[in-house]
Amino acid sequence: MATKTLSAKLLERIGNTPLIELKSYSDKVKIFAKLEWCNPFGSVKDRAAYWMVKDAEKKGVLKKGKSIIIEPTSGNTGIALTGIAKLMGYEVEIVIPEKVSKETKVILANLGAKLYETSDDLCPRVGVGTDQSISLASAMARGRPEIYYMPNQYENEANFMAHYESTGPEIWEQTNGKVTHFITGAGTGGTITGVSAFLKEKNRNIRTIAVQPQKQHLIQGLRNYEESDMPPLFKRRQQTVDEWYTITNEESFKAAKELFEKEKLLVGPSSGCVMAAAQKVKSKLNEGVVVVIFADDGRKFRSLYTSQGVFTDSEFDKALREARTLTELPFDVISK
Amino acid sequence: MRNIDDSEDLVLAEAAAPTKTIDVRGLFCPEPVFRTKIEIDRLGIGNLLKVVADDPEAEEDISRWVKRNGHELVNFAKEGKDLVFVIKKVK
Repeated sequence: MATKTLSAKLLERIGNTPLIELKSYSDKVKIFAKLEWCNPFGSVKDRAAYWMVKDAEKKGVLKKGKSIIIEPTSGNTGIALTGIAKLMGYEVEIVIPEKVSKETKVILANLGAKLYETSDDLCPRVGVGTDQSISLASAMARGRPEIYYMPNQYENEANFMAHYESTGPEIWEQTNGKVTHFITGAGTGGTITGVSAFLKEKNRNIRTIAVQPQKQHLIQGLRNYEESDMPPLFKRRQQTVDEWYTITNEESFKAAKELFEKEKLLVGPSSGCVMAAAQKVKSKLNEGVVVVIFADDGRKFRSLYTSQGVFTDSEFDKALREARTLTELPFDVISK
Repeated sequence: MRNIDDSEDLVLAEAAAPTKTIDVRGLFCPEPVFRTKIEIDRLGIGNLLKVVADDPEAEEDISRWVKRNGHELVNFAKEGKDLVFVIKKVK
């Protein structure tokens, strides 16, 4: 598969994503979705990645042509960081669990990342999955601090600032200050704490609702905090969250399917999870302006959606053809 | 662990020099295990890999990884601060 040439102009397209009203879900309570897949590398993580690399440059820890950015991740942060850091002149190495989907590995490799795949049995002293990747990436960065820089989205304050400085102000302006409820999924905590901190400074009555998936979930990018530790970045500003909802895999997938049927939006599973919570929140309200974040679209999730019975292959093909607002990506997604 | 001056080991050491040696000194665990795994994957069955490490955690991490993955730790020695492993790829 040919690698597409990346243009530095892509960096100018980070942020300022559309906010659209989900008309078939709105009545006196209006629901608006922020379409983060319109970011150049296809997800909300473009913001965090861009802010983290810019921040490291400001602090003087990166040297063009010499520094290597290394990050443990299982998805969108790796794609965003690879695309963005390459455009800014840095090599990127990504440490991922070997069980991550082939689609994601191929995208990362085509964007030019060097991949290290960790198995669950690599180190007996740490947990499984991303924990093995975090452990290896940290060890590699520690052994060669003059070459490696690990942004670490779980601790990096720039991940909070990205949303405090961009996503939050955009939502405030796009709703003309009328937003009453803000709902998003919780992973690193960067989006929820950054947006919430900004909005509450504008209007302290705005309610912020965090959404987590069930334990043993299938929702890439989100975390259940009964089975995973809350990242330090989130812990610092937990007080910006007013309410929590826990959503099952089934509820998430049902909401994702319904978003296509009603709105012609092909969303990723985390957006389904957030939408399921938004409907529960809405049912308790008489009026209001609810804003939800849709972190990525569904193009990378054919194998998940078909294996879970959300879409059949032919339904997924139809969704790819008919879905609106899908923007062109600077990489190919293998969808079979 | 068998004794280094065991005659069987002497014969083995003479008979089979490592196919490859990797120096992972200065690297912190789990990177030494990770580098070991990559090299073992590349070797043919029956070949020997010598690993020189100096992170104290490597002693347990590499030994456990070798055992769990069904390979054989043919020899282990401490030489000053260095930890020297000789691993046979069994499968």
